[in-house]
Amino acid sequence: MQKRILDFATLLRKSGVRVSVAESIDAFTALDELTLDDREVFKDALRATMVKRTMDLPTYDRLFDLYWSGFYDGLRSSFDDASAGLEAKGLDLEDLMERLKEFLENAEGMEDADLSELAKALLTQDLSQLEQMIRQAGEAADVDRIENMLQVGFFTRRILEQLGAQGAGDQLRQLLEQLRGMGLPEEELGALRELIERLMEALRASVRDFTQRELQKQNFDYIEKFRRETLLEKSFYSLTEEDIRRMREVVTRLAQKIKNILTIRRRRERKGKFDLHQTLRRNMHHGGVPFELIFKERRKDRPKLVILCDISSSVANVSRFMLLFMYSLQVAFTKIRAFVFVAELGEVTHIFNEKDIADAVDLALEGGDVINVYTRSNFGYAFHEFWKNHLSSLDKKTTVIVIGDARNNYNDPRAWCMAEIHNKAKNVIWLNPESPGAWGFGDSVMDKYLPHTDVAEEVRNLRQLSRVVDKLVL
Amino acid sequence: MFDSIEDVQKRLGEQGYICDRSVATVVFLATRLEKPVLVEGPAGVGKTELAKVTGAALGCPLIRLQCYEGLDEAKALYEWEYSKQLLYTQILKERFSQAMEGATSVREAADRIGAEDSVFFSERFIVPRPLMRAIDSEETVLLLIDEVDKSDPEFEAFLLEILSDFQVSIPEVGTVVAKQRPVVFLTSNDAREMSDALKRRCLHLYIDFPGQEQELRILDAKVPGVDKRLAEDLVRLMHGLRELDLKKAPSISETLDWARALLALNATELDERLVQDTLNVILKYEGDIRKAQAELGRLLERKPEPPEPAKPEPAKPAPAASSAAPPAPKPAAKKGRLH
Repeated sequence: MQKRILDFATLLRKSGVRVSVAESIDAFTALDELTLDDREVFKDALRATMVKRTMDLPTYDRLFDLYWSGFYDGLRSSFDDASAGLEAKGLDLEDLMERLKEFLENAEGMEDADLSELAKALLTQDLSQLEQMIRQAGEAADVDRIENMLQVGFFTRRILEQLGAQGAGDQLRQLLEQLRGMGLPEEELGALRELIERLMEALRASVRDFTQRELQKQNFDYIEKFRRETLLEKSFYSLTEEDIRRMREVVTRLAQKIKNILTIRRRRERKGKFDLHQTLRRNMHHGGVPFELIFKERRKDRPKLVILCDISSSVANVSRFMLLFMYSLQVAFTKIRAFVFVAELGEVTHIFNEKDIADAVDLALEGGDVINVYTRSNFGYAFHEFWKNHLSSLDKKTTVIVIGDARNNYNDPRAWCMAEIHNKAKNVIWLNPESPGAWGFGDSVMDKYLPHTDVAEEVRNLRQLSRVVDKLVL
Repeated sequence: MFDSIEDVQKRLGEQGYICDRSVATVVFLATRLEKPVLVEGPAGVGKTELAKVTGAALGCPLIRLQCYEGLDEAKALYEWEYSKQLLYTQILKERFSQAMEGATSVREAADRIGAEDSVFFSERFIVPRPLMRAIDSEETVLLLIDEVDKSDPEFEAFLLEILSDFQVSIPEVGTVVAKQRPVVFLTSNDAREMSDALKRRCLHLYIDFPGQEQELRILDAKVPGVDKRLAEDLVRLMHGLRELDLKKAPSISETLDWARALLALNATELDERLVQDTLNVILKYEGDIRKAQAELGRLLERKPEPPEPAKPEPAKPAPAASSAAPPAPKPAAKKGRLH
């Protein structure tokens, strides 16, 4: 049992559920406290001790079924089928078995010695014994090395060999002959023969089922992990619907992480030095005995953020995630003002404030009813607009983030606007989905803007995004 | 302590808390293994309540520590009573001069004072906070650390020592080891993920919304006097609402509130008008209310199917309802499963 639990823990670990050694030990101690006749209790106990993240629960449930319960249930159903088939033909199986037993007892000395463990287990339909035997045979056959569908047949055969299925079948058939010799009525012999064939078939089916489960188990973690890993690396351009849904979780998680870091940083700053001046003054009425201590309080320096986001169709997917991310970060900043542009510039801050996240981002990407999105991008015009109308809102605490590929359709870049913005703001950060090699080529005017930014980074996947944001909130 | 899982269920039930086997199993294990339980789940499914009720069932006093951003050791564990120390110094000034009398050098005087040092850093001047009280208590207590996710990460790190060894080190006094290990419950709304180190020390329990049947039982236990058919309709509507994409899905506490509200209004039946008027009891955001209103027709629509056989005799609703009760299926029971 212990070994199987450890195996299960390994399997969980491989699937991305973090199970520490201490936790598997907890699982053992927990099981000591319980009676294990109830599968649900067993499942709950393992879950409480080994799975600590809510997001891992579905994985656990599926793996638990794969590992613990599913196989036995399958075994039972295939053997039930075998006997049910006979019963359907009007044969009373129990009666038959009784008679058989009687018969064997009368004819002494020969039968038990001749039957292998497997044959006996089959004949008595001792399922838990069978399950154990199949598992052992599976282990001996290295079934955990199975990698793909094509190997199912091979491993099934190997396990059957390990089990000695062939031999057991022969023995049972021999037994039949012996019984005939001992004068068992032909009718019952026929039924028995059919039963034996059916049992053998059920055994083969079960072993095959076992192999297939093993394959699923081995692959399960692989698929899951692969999916999770690649999401971070995957380019924003090539996301599927499913990815987008999963991505949203990853984005919020990332934002949460950054929020955590921020609170630590801020807390560290909160408590200032001892303020001798104030302390003396405040404690005058205690005769100068410092009953109350006063500390200098540092002012919190929450950054302000202005986002200028290009939402032309060429970068829409990228913008979606950037906006999503910014939205999630809202709490970390005192004030976020968000603008979107293609050529015209429109403010979408109110959407950010009012709507919930998915709607807000969708709306912002559609131009938020404020701008026309069906034009060609013109960065120069948009920056000029900003310069005309909103430059006064920038101050030395404001960070300006520009999201866009700087493909200006050969319009005038008006880099001087950017220069002025740079002058007034604390930082200008440009997130560009194109790689630096492409900046300044074709209609890209990134090189014109580059001197007026503090940070310009290529951001085409989440990993890069998180790196930049970490830099940004410092 | 509890004898078995059934015992847990029974004794929590006596306190008016209805839980399924999964929850009972974890509570049972927690008391047996003397490990803290980290309870997670949506707001309002009875996480805090579970802790309180367990305390009541075990007959131990409850010590509650409500976490919030900025909570620190001084508020959670202990604090030196600075003013009291000062006050004592002031009062004992005379004694100090006496003690120093005859000292020939400053060093000697300082040494003598130093010898009295421990008087001022003893438990006399410590203000115990919840964690300290739980550890220092003579009898077994139930320590509820509510909403740990609201606390700061460094506070969480500091909890580790307490949760694994049930001891606290106070530099000036020494280590205080728990006389009786407290039963510890931590609750979290998943506002942020707790560190692995903390989770490793706890058993994990996820409480989800209950299935319809269980919610009915809870409703029955908590708000007796609600008409059976009304309760069924109500629970079914709640389950429907939870399936909508709402900002804050209504939880059990909202179901109970609503039932009480309807009881106060003497309602015997859920009609659309009544629901419209009282929707603000269960939904807390303007956007959610609007969304729910739009769907209300559909949600209430489904309702008449099961009570159909009872329809012919609308004159006496109560007895008819009880006979019509069994056909209620449990379409969403799966969703409310407890993990």
